[in-house]
Amino acid sequence: MYRIRFHGRGGQGMKTASRILGTALFLEGFEVQDAPRYGAERRGAPMFAYVRAHHKPINERGIISRPALVVVSDDSLLAMAAAGVTNGLTAATLLAVCTTRPSSFYDHHDDLKGQLILFRPPASVNGHSQLSSCCAGAAAALLGIISPANLAAAVARELDALPPERIRVNQQAAATVFRRLTENGAFVREGADQVRVKRPHWLTLALDSAALAAPAIHAAATTLRMDTGLWRSQRPEIDFDTCTCCGLCNIYCPDGAISLGDNGCPAIDYQHCKGCLICLNQCPTGAISARPEAAAHETDEVEA
Amino acid sequence: MSSAPQKPSSQPLGHQLAAGTSTCAGCGALQGIRLVHDILDSKVFFVNAAGCMTLLSIYPFTPFAGAWLYTSMASAAAGGQGVRDALDIMLAGKRLPPQEDMQVVVLSGDGSAGGMGLSATSGAMDRNLDFIYLCYDNEGYGNTGYQLSAATPHGARTTTSTSGNPGYKKELFDIWTAHKPAYAATICGAEPGDLRKKVETLKGIKGPRLLLALSPCPTAWHFEPADTITLGKLAVACGLWPLKEYKEGRLVHTKVPKKTGRRPQVEEYLRLQGRYRHLFAPRRNDRVISEIQNRVDRYWEKVTDEG
Ligand SMILES: Cc1ncc(C[n+]2csc(CCOP(=O)(O)OP(=O)(O)O)c2C)c(N)n1
Ligand code: SF4
Ligand code: SF4
Ligand code: SF4
Repeated sequence: MYRIRFHGRGGQGMKTASRILGTALFLEGFEVQDAPRYGAERRGAPMFAYVRAHHKPINERGIISRPALVVVSDDSLLAMAAAGVTNGLTAATLLAVCTTRPSSFYDHHDDLKGQLILFRPPASVNGHSQLSSCCAGAAAALLGIISPANLAAAVARELDALPPERIRVNQQAAATVFRRLTENGAFVREGADQVRVKRPHWLTLALDSAALAAPAIHAAATTLRMDTGLWRSQRPEIDFDTCTCCGLCNIYCPDGAISLGDNGCPAIDYQHCKGCLICLNQCPTGAISARPEAAAHETDEVEA
Repeated sequence: MSSAPQKPSSQPLGHQLAAGTSTCAGCGALQGIRLVHDILDSKVFFVNAAGCMTLLSIYPFTPFAGAWLYTSMASAAAGGQGVRDALDIMLAGKRLPPQEDMQVVVLSGDGSAGGMGLSATSGAMDRNLDFIYLCYDNEGYGNTGYQLSAATPHGARTTTSTSGNPGYKKELFDIWTAHKPAYAATICGAEPGDLRKKVETLKGIKGPRLLLALSPCPTAWHFEPADTITLGKLAVACGLWPLKEYKEGRLVHTKVPKKTGRRPQVEEYLRLQGRYRHLFAPRRNDRVISEIQNRVDRYWEKVTDEG
């Protein structure tokens, strides 16, 4: 059985990538299972989707804990433990990461198990990224069991709501990375038919009284401990030479990540700012600009 | 359920709702709820029907400093009744000092408010329950991936109306005012001045009170999260989202858009959203676009006629 996991952020199209790959495998004659897994549908939040393919009916269910192939659409997820990209990786796993960084950047990631394969995101066309087709193409190439024709057909089938021109651009994006990675020749090894599961050790839990068992939270504002700032791909920054401290950004920020200090001027709480950039769009003086988080992060590290 | 309010000293308040919740980046619903909550202040007891906002509080995390209770989709208003009654009994028995009384706010999406939850809400109004119903209208079942709700507008694509909603938006505001409640208003977080006036007004009134908030939803309406406020403002400016207030049995429009021909066309608003893309590509659907425009124009003609 082939077990593949796609990791990305909500909105990047990894659910679609898993569907394209699933359909391509189906067209190749496999039995297929594909399913996304999120906390809830949240843009920017880490999510993953998985695909199983087998020559026989698939009786295995649930999350894939021992993937043969992991495809990652967003390289910032590698450093985020909560995203779970490296869960269950072994030396035999292929880890394919879509990245614009040079391969030398990954040299010090020697804690990563598995064979690392890097590929570049496709150039965006009219503001559309083709990331799902590209990641599905990468997976198809590394599996080595999908023909270019079936990959193209699967893209067309899964994106059939899009205008024909965009389907064509997506097929090209899938084909380009497919050709590039096929040259690589690092093919995924098929996993065992069945994963051996250890017999669980059952515990008998006595029923608690409702007062104990109901999930009551007695402290206030505990969500402050959640680092939703990790969802951010663009970082808003305020230029205080231009800011007039009008306070509008504080009113419009959905997350309450902007507060006004004693002087009435705004400050952004980067631990919680999700990077929606509403503040940038609404600032009447244009005092807010955005930088890709990855670049901003590197500057932080240099300064630190 | 959270306990009675307690302000931890370490919490940088300034916002009643703490950051760190799991709503999507750019969530228009959260932005509107945040503003309403800031004006209501901390002594609020939210009774929240299943939907996107029930994920605000995932054990052991809560953004609230007041109290919050989770109910099924159909029973938030009934839950509100229970909480109000419990508070009243505690007040009468002097088990709760009057200064610790709380404002009961039922919080739900449009799916719950105008669908499954309507019966319980209607009953609460019949009994003249002292509560606020805050409905964030994202025009569909947001939490489960955007299926059609009774509040989905005509022509919008959802996962269960893939070629555009053939039906029309159910008017929750009219259903409420038909009950002759103490207060009802439509609001939008993108119009904070109008919102503030209404919430301040409703604070001084007792009885059933509705706040119906247009809540642009980047995830389901398919637009860039940065455009949430832009879309809210445009919905008001083009006349699609009338800002109105019902008080002492009278209906007033609190912000009348410019005259027909001088206000933005609805097309400007529709074009920004993927859920209407099929109206423009591969072929333009003039019939549906002009039907939406004509309905808006007729609405405002009637408003001006009635003066
Ligand atoms: C009786 C019942 N049916 C279905 C569900 C599953 N469900 C959870 S949230 C939700 C959508 C609610 O829509 P809405 O009230 O508009 O709130 P939103 O999700 O948009 O925030 C549904 C269908 C449920 N919780 N209860
Ligand atoms: S909206 Fe712009 S000018 Fe106003 S406080 Fe924010 S950054 Fe400053
Ligand atoms: S980008 Fe701006 S508006 Fe969006 S969460 Fe961050 S601070 Fe708030
Ligand atoms: S789906 Fe829409 S309403 Fe729900 S959390 Fe996301 S943006 Fe907000």
